[in-house]
Amino acid sequence: MSRYVVRRLLQAVVVMLGVSIVVFALVHLVPGDPIRTAMGTRFDQQTYELLRARHGFDEPLYVQYFTWLASAVTGDLGVSFRSGRPVTTVLLGRLPATLSLAFAAIVVALLIALPLGIVSAVRQGRASDYIATALSQVGISIPDFWMAIMFILLFSLTLGWLPATGYAPLSEDPLTWLRHVTMPAVTLGVVSGSVITRFVRSSMLEAMSQDYTQTARAKGLAERVVVRRHVIKNALIPVVTVTGLQLAFLLGGVIVVEFIFAWPGLGQLLLIAVQSRDYTVLQGAVLLFALIFLIINLVVDLLYAWLDPRIKYG
Amino acid sequence: MSEDTRSFAAPPEAGPEGGDLLPEHESRLRGTLAGLVRNRLALFGLLVLGTLLVVGVFGSWLAPAHPTAVDIPNRLAPPSLDSPFGTDHLGRDVFSRVLVGARVSLQVAAIAVGISLVAGVTLGLIAGYYGRLVDDVIMRLMDVLFAFPAILLAIAILGVLGPTMTNAMIAVGIVFTPIFARVTRGSVLSVREETYVRAARSLGASDLRLIRLHILPNVMAPIIVQASVSLAFAILIEAALSFLGLGVQPPNPSWGRMLLDGRDVLRQAWWVTFFPGLAIFFTVAAFNFVGDALRDVLDPRQRSVIESRGRA
Repeated sequence: MSRYVVRRLLQAVVVMLGVSIVVFALVHLVPGDPIRTAMGTRFDQQTYELLRARHGFDEPLYVQYFTWLASAVTGDLGVSFRSGRPVTTVLLGRLPATLSLAFAAIVVALLIALPLGIVSAVRQGRASDYIATALSQVGISIPDFWMAIMFILLFSLTLGWLPATGYAPLSEDPLTWLRHVTMPAVTLGVVSGSVITRFVRSSMLEAMSQDYTQTARAKGLAERVVVRRHVIKNALIPVVTVTGLQLAFLLGGVIVVEFIFAWPGLGQLLLIAVQSRDYTVLQGAVLLFALIFLIINLVVDLLYAWLDPRIKYG
Repeated sequence: MSEDTRSFAAPPEAGPEGGDLLPEHESRLRGTLAGLVRNRLALFGLLVLGTLLVVGVFGSWLAPAHPTAVDIPNRLAPPSLDSPFGTDHLGRDVFSRVLVGARVSLQVAAIAVGISLVAGVTLGLIAGYYGRLVDDVIMRLMDVLFAFPAILLAIAILGVLGPTMTNAMIAVGIVFTPIFARVTRGSVLSVREETYVRAARSLGASDLRLIRLHILPNVMAPIIVQASVSLAFAILIEAALSFLGLGVQPPNPSWGRMLLDGRDVLRQAWWVTFFPGLAIFFTVAAFNFVGDALRDVLDPRQRSVIESRGRA
């Protein structure tokens, strides 16, 4: 186990190094010169030279990379092309909004997936199974940004129940946060919940056909007790990891959903950076997203190995 | 494991009793079609896709109005017999734009998946066939691309290359490459040591010939399934990118872009966002249904819809 942990950690470090190269290269893929492009029509030679020197663009590329990497490791991602503020400060200011949204979304996903998946498996082949399966199929195919707009149309503009935009930090005003987070979290949760539902169902069905379940039935336990004590417990192990992975994948959806609901998180920041050609912020936001994604994946892998010692550490 | 492997690397003498063990290519094709037709959802998916194909090709002829014809006096008109999906903020006919938008969405998705298919399958074949260092280098590169949420990578690429339709295709193509590389490599590893490959090798077949004639045909099943599922997600990602203003640019009608335009007039005109979104939903569902059924028929071991959805 410890050998697996060490190997998996090393692997994550190698991937993160690769990610850092990609993220660094991004800015240098800008057609022409990123600083000239960022300056647009307000170009003047003196400021240009100054900015080039300040961002280290006059050094050879590999020197720039190692300088950037060395600073990045210590948490220094340079300063914003636009505001001049340290990128790390900007990113950390946005992080709580994104994390609290992702967390709320995964809670919604589980509230959908567990009952739906369990009912679907226990009543396999009956009407409720078909309905649950159909619902999850719809959830998987529905574009989240369209669902978000339809929610706004229905719950904000027509019924006036929930605010379409706005935010309050969870730590300061939980009730306002809850009112604002509901629609974005449900939007993201429906998609992830639909994916998890399918896993819960298939995982339950597999556990229900195992020998230990047959034994439990054979010794005369009521079906309800068999399901609760023997099936669900075993079936939920893979579900834990799928939920973790969905949390990581949620990060992609977060970007679009934050844009729609004007949720002041990392996704919105990323899009603003793209629009204003603020390449250092873009670079930092992409790096932070990838880092969170990688950490969640790593934790999920380690958790899986810990929960289910039968897996082969391949 | 070896039994599983044979299910899609079926040598000609394998009998049909194994469910998906079909003796020859023709019968496999017939079996696939029969399996798809038996599955009602897949049949529905095929019908939707067939309709889309017709609309994609003939959309501009079928459209009752020109998709970019501005008609300000008639702006934000609700659905009626004249314009079944209403008109948008410039008085353009939403129904005609949805029809013509089908071509744009399908085209971007198909080309993007085409790019990732060619790149990913080539890389996967090389990695799986040659193994060792080549495999390590290629697959670690793929791991790096996999370390980004798909849409994030696409946004980042478009952020630096600039928002155009061509760049959107390239971005989505890059994003989907690793999944094809992984699927291909995994399958190559399982057929590489099959007797018929060894036999061909011992007869002196070159690497290229081995890969082209013996390995590639036997790893196609999971790749086809992956392609179908990836098309669904390419449609979704393209729509999302266009919705963010990073994909197809106006006045070209694209479903995602139409949602963006409609968002500003949501209060007055729900139809401008409702119908293009519905079109995206049906298209994605159709590809998913067909992908699911194809997987059941061709490659029962794979859970690609679920896994790939995560990627989107």
